[in-house]
Amino acid sequence: MKAGKAGKLFMVASVLVCVFLLFPMIVIVLSSFDPKEYMSFPPTGFSLRWYRHVFNVELFRVGFKTSIKVALISTSVGLIIGVPAAYTLVRFDFWGKATLQSFFLSPLIVPGIVLGCALLKTLIISGGLPIYYGLILGHIALVIPYTIRVTAASLMNLPVSVEEAALSLGATEVQSFYRVVLPNIKMGLLAAFLLAFITSFNNVPISLFLSGPNVTTLPIQMMIYGEYYFDPSIAALSVMILLLTMSLVYLVERTIGLTYFTASH
Amino acid sequence: MFFRRYWFLLVPVTVFLAISFLWPLASMLVGTVYSLGKGLSLDLYAKFAGDAFYRSIFWRTVKLGLIVTLVCILAGYPVSFYLSRLGGRRKAVLLALVIFPLLTNSVVRSYSWMVVLGRNGFLNSLIRWAGFAKEPFAMLYTPFAVVVGLTHLFLPLMILSLTSAMENIDDGLMEAAQSLGANEVRVFLRVVVPLSMPGLVVGSVLVFTGSTTAYVTPHMLGGSRVMTLATLLYQKAMVVFDWPMATTVAACSVLLTAAVIWGLNSISRRMGVRT
Repeated sequence: MKAGKAGKLFMVASVLVCVFLLFPMIVIVLSSFDPKEYMSFPPTGFSLRWYRHVFNVELFRVGFKTSIKVALISTSVGLIIGVPAAYTLVRFDFWGKATLQSFFLSPLIVPGIVLGCALLKTLIISGGLPIYYGLILGHIALVIPYTIRVTAASLMNLPVSVEEAALSLGATEVQSFYRVVLPNIKMGLLAAFLLAFITSFNNVPISLFLSGPNVTTLPIQMMIYGEYYFDPSIAALSVMILLLTMSLVYLVERTIGLTYFTASH
Repeated sequence: MFFRRYWFLLVPVTVFLAISFLWPLASMLVGTVYSLGKGLSLDLYAKFAGDAFYRSIFWRTVKLGLIVTLVCILAGYPVSFYLSRLGGRRKAVLLALVIFPLLTNSVVRSYSWMVVLGRNGFLNSLIRWAGFAKEPFAMLYTPFAVVVGLTHLFLPLMILSLTSAMENIDDGLMEAAQSLGANEVRVFLRVVVPLSMPGLVVGSVLVFTGSTTAYVTPHMLGGSRVMTLATLLYQKAMVVFDWPMATTVAACSVLLTAAVIWGLNSISRRMGVRT
C-alpha cells in the first residue's frame, strides 16, 4: 500500500505504543540509582548503594538460588521427556494424535493460578508431597508445552529424507537420532531451553501457592519484600532481571529468530 | 513408519502431565460439585452466586477483562499493521521492543508501574512540576492502575497475534482496493480489518483470559480495594483457609475462560473466520 498520511499515523501510533511499553522500565532503571531510603521520582542522586544491598538481602539470595534450581531442573526434565514426544508427534500419524497434541499443550490454556491452587490442594495437602517436589512438578507441567512446541517446529523443518539416508547407510535408529536428528535441531533445542527457562523463572501463580520455608522463588520473594519495604533495592534487582531478560531475547533472536513469535502455530 | 515401535516415547510426558496437571485439576474441579459425604451438590456455586460480595468481584473481573481487551485491540491494530508491512532491520527492532516486555517478569513490570503511578511517583511529580495540582492524585490502588498494568502486560500478545494474521494479507489486495479508488482509511477498514479477524479472535482470547486470571497486577496495583477472582482465590486459599470457597472461585475462573474461548470461537465460525 502506498504510504500517505494514514501511513504516518500508523507509525506515530507505533512509536507511542513502544513508549508506553518501555517507559516504566526506563523509570525503574533511573530510580534504581537513587540513594534515598524510599522510592520517589525524580531520583535525588546517583549511587550503587541498592545494588550492593540486593546481594546482602538473604531473602533475595535464597530466592534466586531456588528460582535458578527449579528452572534448570524443570527445563531439563521438560526437554528430556518433551523432545522424544515432539519427535513422535512430528514423524508419525496415529489414532488420537490431535487429542494428545492438545493435551500436551493444554497447560498453556489453564490459568496458572488455578493450577497452582489445584497442585497445592491435591499433591501437597491431600497427597502429603513435600512442597519442593510439588513446585518442580508444577513447573515441569508449565514448561512442557514450550519444549514440545519449539522442538516440533524445528523438527518439521528437517526433511525425513535426511534420516532415511542415515538409515539406508547402515545407521541404527538410535544412532540416526543422536548423530543426525539432534545436531540438526540444535538451535531449536537451545531456543526451547531458553523459552522454557524464562517461563519457569518468571512464573508467579504456581510458585505463589507452592511456597514455604526455603522454597520460595525470587519473584515471590520480591513481592513479599515489596509489601514491607519501599526502598529502591527492588528497582535494582529489577534492573538485573531486565538485563538477564535482554540477553535471553538476544539469544532467542540468534537461535530461532524473533519472528517465531508471529508465526502461526 | 514404525509407530508401533515408537509409541513409548510419548509415555513419560503423558504420565508427568497426568500427575502434575490433569489429576490435580480434575480432582479439584470435581471436588466442587461432589464430595463423599454429601454426594452431588451445587451448594458451593449457589453460595458463590448468592453472595453480593463475590458477585461484585466476579463482575468487576469480567469488566476489567473487557476494558483491557478493548484497549489492547485499539492500541494493537495500528502497531500490528505497521509491523506487518515492515521488513529488515526496522522490523527486527520493533519486534524486539514488543517481545522484550513479554518476556520480562510480571513482578518487575507491576513494580515499575508502582513507581510511575505512586504518590511520589513519576506522574505525580510531573503534574506537580508542571503546576497542575499541589496534592498528588491517588492513582495507585484504583481500577485505573489495574487497567494500565494489565494493558502493559497483555498488549504484546495482542500485537503479536494481529501481526501474525496481517502478515498473511497479500499486498496486492490492498493495492487493488487503492487502485479502485479506496483511500487508505477505507482500505484499512474494509480489507485489513476483516482479513485480520483470526488474529483478533486469538489475541482477544489470550488478552481476556490472561487479564481475568492475572494475580500479580491486581494484587500489586489494585490491592485489597480492587479485588479480582484471582486475588480472591488466593485470599480464600492462603489467608483464611476456606478451601471449599477457594476451589469454587478457581472453578468459576475456569468456567469464565472456557465460556469466552467457546463464545469467541463460535461467533467467529458463524462469521466464517478460520482460526
